[in-house]
Amino acid sequence: MATIELINVEKKFGDVHAVKPMNLTVRDGEFVVLLGPSGCGKTTTLRMISGLEAVTGGQILLNGRDVTWERPSDRDIAFVFQFFALYSHMTARENIAFPLQAQGERREVVRQRVEDVSRLLRMEHVLDVRPGALSGGDQQRVALARALVRHPAAFLMDEPLGALDADFRETMRAEIKRLHIDQHATTVYVTHDQIEAMAMGDRIVVMSDADVQQVGTPAEVYHDPANLFVARFIGSPGMNLVPGRYVRGVLHLAEGATYKVPDAWAPSLDAATRGDGDLILGFRPEAATVGVDSAIPATVYATDLHGGYTMLHLELGNNTIIHARTTREAKYAINTPVRFDLDPAMVRFFDPATEAAIIPEVRA
Amino acid sequence: MSQANAQALSPQSAAAAPPRQRRQTSDRAIAWLFITPTIVLLVVMNIFPLFYSLYLSFNDYSVIGSEPPKWVALDNYEKILTSERQRYWHNFTVTGRYALLSVGLQLILGFGLAMLLREKFRGSGLITTLILIPMMLSPVVVGLFWKLIFDPSKGFFNYLIYTNPRGGAEWLSDPTLGLWSIVIVDVWMWSPFVMLLCLSGLSAIPDYLYEAAAIDRASAWFQFRRITLPQVMPLLLIAVLFRTIEAFKAFDVVMGLTGGGPGDTTETVAVRLYSEAFLGKFRTGESSALAYIVLIIIIAISNLYIRALNRAREG
Ligand SMILES: Nc1ncnc2c1ncn2[C@@H]1O[C@H](COP(=O)(O)OP(=O)(O)OP(=O)(O)O)[C@@H](O)[C@H]1O
Ligand SMILES: [Mg+2]
Repeated sequence: MATIELINVEKKFGDVHAVKPMNLTVRDGEFVVLLGPSGCGKTTTLRMISGLEAVTGGQILLNGRDVTWERPSDRDIAFVFQFFALYSHMTARENIAFPLQAQGERREVVRQRVEDVSRLLRMEHVLDVRPGALSGGDQQRVALARALVRHPAAFLMDEPLGALDADFRETMRAEIKRLHIDQHATTVYVTHDQIEAMAMGDRIVVMSDADVQQVGTPAEVYHDPANLFVARFIGSPGMNLVPGRYVRGVLHLAEGATYKVPDAWAPSLDAATRGDGDLILGFRPEAATVGVDSAIPATVYATDLHGGYTMLHLELGNNTIIHARTTREAKYAINTPVRFDLDPAMVRFFDPATEAAIIPEVRA
Repeated sequence: MSQANAQALSPQSAAAAPPRQRRQTSDRAIAWLFITPTIVLLVVMNIFPLFYSLYLSFNDYSVIGSEPPKWVALDNYEKILTSERQRYWHNFTVTGRYALLSVGLQLILGFGLAMLLREKFRGSGLITTLILIPMMLSPVVVGLFWKLIFDPSKGFFNYLIYTNPRGGAEWLSDPTLGLWSIVIVDVWMWSPFVMLLCLSGLSAIPDYLYEAAAIDRASAWFQFRRITLPQVMPLLLIAVLFRTIEAFKAFDVVMGLTGGGPGDTTETVAVRLYSEAFLGKFRTGESSALAYIVLIIIIAISNLYIRALNRAREG
């Protein structure tokens, strides 16, 4: 069991930052997800923690011990690679036994541990098959088993479900989560799939452009995104973002529409804009309720039925489309004018210049 | 040609417009046109001699004699395997020892060089090319200049290895050193080939296997034994196969260096075959039989290797 601490860890390839100075503390037994679009430095971060990549600055502490310049083998960390990296010339059994044999474990111990871990992952029937002949899911299991068998202090997983079919991912996602709960092992998990991140992480580290955008629980990054990037990136669809001009408690949206900001927000918005300035209003689709005498006018642009609910696409004028969630029964013809209200507890505001969220002085 | 192609590419359009009867070569005819010369050459140069020599191996015949081939059934084979077997057996043991020594040393040296040149460094490309030079030389040339190198009075080989300060070893005329000198030259010439194969095998091992092994806390030696070696094994076996077959045919370098001497201490099967077939008596029938025995042995050895190769690939 272990804690992992990154202190100003950075990686440059030539003059380009793959990871800008980054600070992160992973607590013992925590499941932390690194989430971000392709190329944002997730793999590089993981490789630095594992020791496969040397840092160009900063310090990495494992259980408080400085391991920045230690070899991967001295860090007692297991790594599940993005494309599994199985030993192609060995059977599944030999693959799983490899880390134990490398430590010179006794034959019976190796046999016993391989059996235990393969029972845990329900993969006894594929033990004598080579990786090339295994399905993606079974290769995934071998990779996990090889990581688990050694009882390492921490797990690093690089998009372990990326190579799997959509429906199988859900199963494996649950399996990994379950394993984590059973083993209570500190885990850093990389993905670019925000649904996966929300479902699995105790905390999520949202990354973009080699930089950490926000660190928080799934609820925090969903409800209180630190900036416009996180607001757009988390959720499907992302947060609705509507630009407007704030003048003393009222936000003027496109085409004369206005939105009276909740009283609790007024002081902080006054402070942020000095009473008069541009703002971006943000709210989740489920924060909007369509009603007859609601405040904000819009026209129905399109509707999709999503099984349990209907997603309304509403046009606010100025080509701003927002998404609103309504009940399954609600039916709206295209181009119908409608009005909607926002749940005052679920609106957020962003500064268009800095793209950062405006922090309310006192949270209502 | 282009018309034939167009037809092949779009059968629908050809069907839509009824084909006009025109003189044109079909794809099939063109295919035959290309293949026929090759087949003719193959039959004349390879297949006919193969079967004619098989036929001759059952006859008493000499190409310089005036008599036509006389059918003697298995007499030639019997002679080689029974009445004259002592000297032939000697030829086979010489060949076997030579094959074992030179292939073994080539493997060690070639694989070692490949491991050294595996990491790219400044000038590694140049060094690789330089090492490959011996392989590209003509064996006769190699035989001739190594004869000079081995020369006890003029050559610098003894000087290099500091044998006996008063009068060096007589490499080519010493009964035990004779075979070794051929082995040395063969190793010098063909280790680069093994190295080349090993290099391509090593460079095909993906880096992530070593990264996984580093994470799995495998020592360098454990990585070598459990990853590097098994991964290059198929190519290593191919190298062994090629070099063993070549060693069984060892002729040019032997002729260039020792001519089979001193006495018959370095007389390989191929050299013996040559002297039976073309020197003195021109014993065509008997030498054909010997050639077939060698062929069978080579096929048998190749089969063993190929089986080992398949095992290495499939496990
Ligand atoms: N060895 C390298 N040399 C140069 N640049 C590199 C190297 N490895 C990664 N990079 C660059 O660093 C940046 C971050 O790469 P990284 O692999 O960490 O991204 P990622 O977030 O894992 O992306 P993905 O989701 O595609 O796996 C990329 O722009 C990449 O091009
Ligand atoms: Mg990656």
